[in-house]
Amino acid sequence: MSWRAILGVVALNAWFLVVGVGVLFALRGWRSWGELARLCGLAYMLGIAATAVVLVWALVLTVPFSVATVIGAGALVALVAALAGGRTGRRLPSRPRPRVPGWSLVATVSAALVVVYCEAQFRAGRLASLTEFDGWFFWVAKARAIFSFGDLDPQFFRELPHHGYPPLVPTLEAAAMRFMGSADVVTLHLQFWFLLVGFVAALVGLLAPRVRPLFLWPPLLLVLVTPRVSGYALQAQADFLLEELLAVAALLIGLWLVDRSDWQLVAAGIVLAAAMLSKREGALFGACVVLAGLGATWRQRRTAWPRLVGVGVAAAAATLPWWILLHVRGLGAETPEAGGIGLFSHLDLAWPSLKLTFSTLFDYHQWLLVVPVAALAIAGAFVAGARRLPSYALLLFVFGAAALTYTTWAFPSIPITKAPVNPIIRLTGWLVLVTPAVIPLVLNEGWDAE
Amino acid sequence: MAAAVVVATGFGLGYYAQALSHLGDTASANSRLSYEDREIGGGNSIVVDQEAAYEARGLIPPSARYRVVTGGRLRNATSLTGSFVDGWYRSFLIPRRRSPTASWVICYGCDIGALGGAYTVRWQDANGISIGEVR
Repeated sequence: MSWRAILGVVALNAWFLVVGVGVLFALRGWRSWGELARLCGLAYMLGIAATAVVLVWALVLTVPFSVATVIGAGALVALVAALAGGRTGRRLPSRPRPRVPGWSLVATVSAALVVVYCEAQFRAGRLASLTEFDGWFFWVAKARAIFSFGDLDPQFFRELPHHGYPPLVPTLEAAAMRFMGSADVVTLHLQFWFLLVGFVAALVGLLAPRVRPLFLWPPLLLVLVTPRVSGYALQAQADFLLEELLAVAALLIGLWLVDRSDWQLVAAGIVLAAAMLSKREGALFGACVVLAGLGATWRQRRTAWPRLVGVGVAAAAATLPWWILLHVRGLGAETPEAGGIGLFSHLDLAWPSLKLTFSTLFDYHQWLLVVPVAALAIAGAFVAGARRLPSYALLLFVFGAAALTYTTWAFPSIPITKAPVNPIIRLTGWLVLVTPAVIPLVLNEGWDAE
Repeated sequence: MAAAVVVATGFGLGYYAQALSHLGDTASANSRLSYEDREIGGGNSIVVDQEAAYEARGLIPPSARYRVVTGGRLRNATSLTGSFVDGWYRSFLIPRRRSPTASWVICYGCDIGALGGAYTVRWQDANGISIGEVR
């Protein structure tokens, strides 16, 4: 709760940004320094995703966890990125020339509203206590164990609940604790503030030059002011980080559908790898993103599918060291109680699970009208004659809803309810956060088709 | 499509003030909490006595092992104490490790006679919580 702790979190996230700029240089470079400034949000998300994945690998390999490890992991990522960028002959642009950006009134006012909102989130999170059950029960407990022992301590990771959950979020929290100098569970919430701001900046940076301001800002503002996001986005657990990563990946694949630039797929792969190492559901929802991309490229499947499948496989492969460690330690992967054919033994749960998914997605008290807005936008774009991006968005929501239904159906011991004992409200957030990432593209394509 | 933009704009702006107000209220409520309230967080509805948590951290050496033993002699317990007090201490007391045979005991209304040795109390409160060593 001290200034030193806050400065520690700032330093850690500045480091993630530096690493991410290196990754961005390798992936696409930038034509001007203004363009780099615009893409800082994406760079930050790439930096945090790539560094955190390497840190998880380091923990699996029993590399002692410290500030030096965090810096070393980031430096390794940046070095590999710089070498890759250098080999492709990428060059930095000439000196920056100060220029006032030509923002529209809508963009200026909306950006100001978002900045004020983020400031309010900072104040709310600055002195927040660790009240969230899963947070103190195992997410932050795991982070404390990594912080204290410098490794994935066998006793704690066996005894703590949900030992099979991938450890990216506790690793990230432990990195924040290392930089803060203590296991400060109050200031820890600011790490999640940085993630929220990075997510918003990534969306705005990627979408601003491509879509009209009226298509970009209203969906973003709507999602930010939902009771769920404004009340829970800074919780010290994995849900929002998972959803932010998935939304950025969905956006990058959506952009790839338009541009077919390979860097977008590589970036999506990095972000998806981090998502899959954040929560078990990351693999399921990540597969939905890839499947939606496959569906949207049905006509170009010969050229598109190998690339998209490659992204999914590469991201999943990044999680292998963790699953191998679980196997070596004789710990189960905590797979669903009724996964696979077990679902057929609980067919009676299918319809109630689907109903729960839809009633949660359309729950006004949680998500306002985000999903109806997305549905209106997709339908409108189809009517206007657009096909590619509305199809992608529609498939995202269809596969996403099916995956959410599965998360209830495959766990017969969990009551079918919106009460906290069932994580459905937290999980539906991934489709809600996908909305401001993908729907602006859909609206823009629909408008152009009209 | 226009409808989607209109609805998003209307509800986004309409709820903006409410969201800011909520966040402001949260910030005010958080700033009114004591240092202990913030650090113990979810444990406030479990541990019964915040001092017990801090005494446990102060008395039990970081390299020592401990056990949390619950029993029927606890006063002012909440509905969550019995089920979650062990799990909460497990997180709060890291790097101290749990062991069912540890000499350090955090006793929540426990049966002292069943601890398996002479119990030296180092700290106790009026709720029936004590911290001590079994020899």
